[in-house]
Amino acid sequence: MSTEPRPQLDSLLVQLADGERAVFTQVFRILWQPVHRLCSSMLKNDADAADAAQQALEKVLTRCGEYDRKRPALPWALAIAAWECRTIARKRTRRREVPEDEAPVLGSGSEEELAQRELMLAAIDALGELSEQDREALVATFWEEATNVTGATLRKRRERALTRLRDTFKRLYGLD
Amino acid sequence: MDSIDLSQIERRARRKYEWARARRAVLGFAPSLVLIAVAALLNKHHVSAIAFGIALFVVGSGLLWYGRDVRRAVLPGLAMGLLPLAVALCVNHVGHACLGDRCMTLCVPACAVGGLAAGVGISFIGLRRKQGWPFWVGATLLTLLTGAMGCSCVGYGGVAGLSVGCAIGLLSGLVQRRLRHSR
Repeated sequence: MSTEPRPQLDSLLVQLADGERAVFTQVFRILWQPVHRLCSSMLKNDADAADAAQQALEKVLTRCGEYDRKRPALPWALAIAAWECRTIARKRTRRREVPEDEAPVLGSGSEEELAQRELMLAAIDALGELSEQDREALVATFWEEATNVTGATLRKRRERALTRLRDTFKRLYGLD
Repeated sequence: MDSIDLSQIERRARRKYEWARARRAVLGFAPSLVLIAVAALLNKHHVSAIAFGIALFVVGSGLLWYGRDVRRAVLPGLAMGLLPLAVALCVNHVGHACLGDRCMTLCVPACAVGGLAAGVGISFIGLRRKQGWPFWVGATLLTLLTGAMGCSCVGYGGVAGLSVGCAIGLLSGLVQRRLRHSR
């Protein structure tokens, strides 16, 4: 993703928060792609990803009044999307929504896939337990989205967020 | 991704955005309900105070919902409206003043003076913050509605006094603004 729309997105989101309806479509179009991509990579299911992206975008746009103008908008929006993915993943686990024909066939490949999926869901769950700032740092790092900090500060922030994620994972599942 | 109807999702998001703005606006302006309740209790004409109060609440919430420049008028408009409201409610309890055989109700002059002070206040803030006409219109409207909750003490004469006072107070500011723009 190019770095060009980011500062533009920050100012557009501020305008939208101030009630400038003319920028709504622009904000929506800029955010849709990265949010949908994040949801797809987290949920590994097209329908769930589309649902999560839609709900995440609705939340971002309705909560634009809460957006902190000093921080970049994209990681903030992606953190909300990550939270939405977590909610949908939890719902899916609870309701066992995976239909019979989509259920993995037993075998070494699908077992591995299943294990990876479970691990991903667990990671999303642990991610949801972190603070918004930690989530932003991790999401920005692993989905290659820019934050307002770079270099040593970003490394330190990421390190701290990872430690907290590890602790949370340990607390939730009892393993590293 | 091609199968996703983005325009439908956008429409839905826009609807939710407007609802969220409206909810925030009503919540943001909710503290004024206390003021409206106090004004209605202290005013002898409860019905007119409540009617102006409802109008104030609708207009104030509407301005906050609309946003942009006009939302900046909400707090100054409400604050300036407190001047004529407080003066009118105080005078409401004094009633009238007598000089010899002649008595007069104090409500109308009090509202005019309060309106004048409010108009000057709006002008001061508008000029200082270099606000555009939406601010001036919004702030004046809110000031008049806030003040009117108290100035309805002698019927619409009090409200007229308030409006005239406010208009005179605004005049100097508007003239200055015009001169500034013509330079």
